[in-house]
Amino acid sequence: MTPRRGRSVRRYAKLAIIAAGLLMGIAALILLGRYASSIADFGRRHVALLAVNAIAAIVLLGLILINLFRLVKDYRRRAPGARLRARLVGMFVGLTLAPLLIVYFFALQFVNGGIDSWFDSDLEQELSSALRLGRESLEVQATSRLSQTGALAAAIGSLDGDALARALSVLRADAGAEELTVFTSGMRVAASSSRGDVLPPTLSEDARDELAQNQRFVALEPLGNARYQVRAAVLIPGDLPADTAGAAGRRYLQAVFPIGYRQGRLADAVQDTYTRYSELRFLREPLKDNLTLTLSLVLLLSLLSAATGAFYLARRLAAPIESLAAGTEAVAKGDFDTRLPPGAADEVGFLIESFNGMIERLGRAREESRVSQQQLERERANLATILGRLSTGVIAIGLDGRVRIANDAAGAILGVDLASPAGATLDSIAASGPLPAQFIDACRPHVASEQREWRGQIVLRADGVRRILNCASSPLPGDEAAGGAIVVFDDVTELLVAQREAAWGEVARRLAHEIKNPLTPIRLAAERIRRRYLPTMAQEDGQVLDRSTHTIVQQVEAMRDMVNAFSEYARAPAVSIASVDLGQLVREVAWLYRAQEGQPLVKLALEDGLEVDADAVRVRQLLHNLIRNAQEALEGQPDGVIEIATRSLPGGDRPLAEISITDNGPGIDADVLTRLFEPYVTSKKKGTGLGLAIVKKLVEEHGGTVVAENLPERGARLAVRLPVRAVVRDTLSDTRPVRVEPWRERA
Amino acid sequence: MQNNIHRQSGPCAALVVAVGFLCAGLVHSPRVLAQETGLEIRNASTRLDAGVWYLDARIDYRLNRDTLEALQNGIPLTFELQVELTQDRRWLPDEDVATLRQDFELSWQPLSRGYLVRNKNSGDQRAHTTLFAALNDLGRISDLPIIDAALVQDSEDYEVSLRAVLDQQQLPGPLRMLAFWDDDFTLESDWYRWDLRSGQLQ
Repeated sequence: MTPRRGRSVRRYAKLAIIAAGLLMGIAALILLGRYASSIADFGRRHVALLAVNAIAAIVLLGLILINLFRLVKDYRRRAPGARLRARLVGMFVGLTLAPLLIVYFFALQFVNGGIDSWFDSDLEQELSSALRLGRESLEVQATSRLSQTGALAAAIGSLDGDALARALSVLRADAGAEELTVFTSGMRVAASSSRGDVLPPTLSEDARDELAQNQRFVALEPLGNARYQVRAAVLIPGDLPADTAGAAGRRYLQAVFPIGYRQGRLADAVQDTYTRYSELRFLREPLKDNLTLTLSLVLLLSLLSAATGAFYLARRLAAPIESLAAGTEAVAKGDFDTRLPPGAADEVGFLIESFNGMIERLGRAREESRVSQQQLERERANLATILGRLSTGVIAIGLDGRVRIANDAAGAILGVDLASPAGATLDSIAASGPLPAQFIDACRPHVASEQREWRGQIVLRADGVRRILNCASSPLPGDEAAGGAIVVFDDVTELLVAQREAAWGEVARRLAHEIKNPLTPIRLAAERIRRRYLPTMAQEDGQVLDRSTHTIVQQVEAMRDMVNAFSEYARAPAVSIASVDLGQLVREVAWLYRAQEGQPLVKLALEDGLEVDADAVRVRQLLHNLIRNAQEALEGQPDGVIEIATRSLPGGDRPLAEISITDNGPGIDADVLTRLFEPYVTSKKKGTGLGLAIVKKLVEEHGGTVVAENLPERGARLAVRLPVRAVVRDTLSDTRPVRVEPWRERA
Repeated sequence: MQNNIHRQSGPCAALVVAVGFLCAGLVHSPRVLAQETGLEIRNASTRLDAGVWYLDARIDYRLNRDTLEALQNGIPLTFELQVELTQDRRWLPDEDVATLRQDFELSWQPLSRGYLVRNKNSGDQRAHTTLFAALNDLGRISDLPIIDAALVQDSEDYEVSLRAVLDQQQLPGPLRMLAFWDDDFTLESDWYRWDLRSGQLQ
């Protein structure tokens, strides 16, 4: 059986039970009305009827108790609609109880009053009088018959035997008696005469007693069918001998006289009426009790039916509201798939329909909102990814001076972790280091002012680090919560350096091209003049010529050197990467600078087996430049020492090899230090100013870095770090592809 | 006329009575009240005469106040004499051989101020001037034929059971309702059992 069918069956079963209860109540009322009109009928089927009603009442009571138990349980666990149901049940029962009780009490009064009205003291008195009259009339007759019997007894006297029998027959006929019987003192029949065949005559027990006491007895006897008779008995005067008649020798005559039919019928009617009245009077209270009981049972049945109906109606009425409450609760918990079953075509049904429509719209709106939220999240994730991948620093600052958004690049450029202190204030960021402090100081006026649209360049300096930032800020639209400014900044330090280097490379290339070409003709011309005119000239003039041409040649050579240096700087041949034993290479180069007179001492501290993927020619040139730079720094210093060291730096997935050149010279000026690797930045009197610029260029071609620092006590240290494995490095000056050989791991 | 049978009744009491009726109706069982009400079989015997078994018995009818009052208010009382003859069987349940019912009606006659005892089966009636005489007459059973001797097997044992009860079904409706849960109108004697032939009590 399907649940729906089962529910339907249960529902019909309940309806049937309730209908049966109601029908029984109605039937009880109808039967009560019928039976109340006749005492004879009343109670004939009353017990059965009451028993059936009692069973119905018990069934209804059971139903009510079950419903009440469920209601109380629902009420306690605060089930939706339980309170409403309880209120409805209370209202229904209350509404039913009042009229029922009124009808009940009215009916009771009516019934009791009606029964009481049957009895009237005057009527009772009259009935008693009528009965007495009838009785006295009969008693007069009885007394007369007793006297007549006495006369008959006297007439019998001492007759006996056949004479007595004959006398009895004659006397009976004369007296008009039904029966004449002579009893001996032993109550045996001595002789008898009767009209018709009758049973053997007897003397009743009470007659005997009466005769024993008073010698006479008379009684009125009903015979049925309105017939009466008078039975009279007297002592017969005159004793007989004791031997034949018994101990005492006494005899009694019993005579039975009929009473006239008419008189008997009238007397019988009076007696019947009186008897019925007495019976009715006697049954008055039981009758009232029975009617009261029946009415009470009907009331009970009606009440129970009403209560059962109240539960049923309350459940039916509350069901759509319960369903609405449950639906609302489900919606409150976020379940928008709930749909209530359609109700009846009334206001509640309309409410359910509206509710379903509302839930559908809400569900749609929530779905749209969810999709929008997801889209927003995706956009935000995209934005975060874009911001994260940007090399440009982006910081959004709220009106309250707190950082709302900052990307990784911003933190990297400023050297501060902006991700962790989310919502950090500008002051706290400024306190985290000199670079952020300078940045914040530069930005704060523009961010705080009304004119937040700003663009400019900021130069940050700290501990030998110089950063040039291109900054721009714009106001963010919105109120206190969303407004503020966004600051966008690029680290253009390297770009500027590269641009400068590119410019210098161009200059060098032009110099090499424009100046180098005329130098050879100038030198050749000077040597030709010398060769041709020196022998022919006077000694004094010849000396001048000789000196002059010598100077020209010398200066031309000097210029050639300079132009070669420029050419070297501007040169960008293909990089040829191969595995290079760094220690070996350093030894070879250092050997050229082994200590000579007046030259600084070169010390080596090399790590064995350190190999890098590099262009050996360029690394060699790089070493030359660095050593020469150190030598120049130590020039004129007798105790000059140059220490060349190599070591490997484990850098996780990017291991590095470091070559450091340390001297004990005067160190590098602080002004020069930040721009040391730019062309023509030098603190020395000699040199082209391109040595370290070339070093930087060579290092960057290998994807490495070069740093310079002053030692705490004396001297300076330049450290070149090259990746052990080859990396492709696109430099600004050389955009050609670099041939990279596969790095081979050595055993 | 004073009526002492029924207590004060009213709507509230009636409700209580109604509920009481529901409960009492379920558990009600007639109690044997022979000792209290005075219906008692003093002796009973059977005798065989001319091929017919006859019953003679003496029964004491002692009416209680309520029944007496009902009688004197014109309500006839019907007493039923119940005679049962069963065959004793050793291995099987006893078999009912014969069942006899004799109804006697006792009524008050206000006109003659006497009592009438009527055998409702035969229609015989006897008038008595006193209740004592009427009850004596009622309680004297003699020569009541119960079974033909031919229906009784010589080799078997038979048991005769006798009792007298007031027939509530013959009471007027309201009293019958009352009698349903009130013992005042429950008058019945114990079963009196004896062997058909020996006349010895069982």
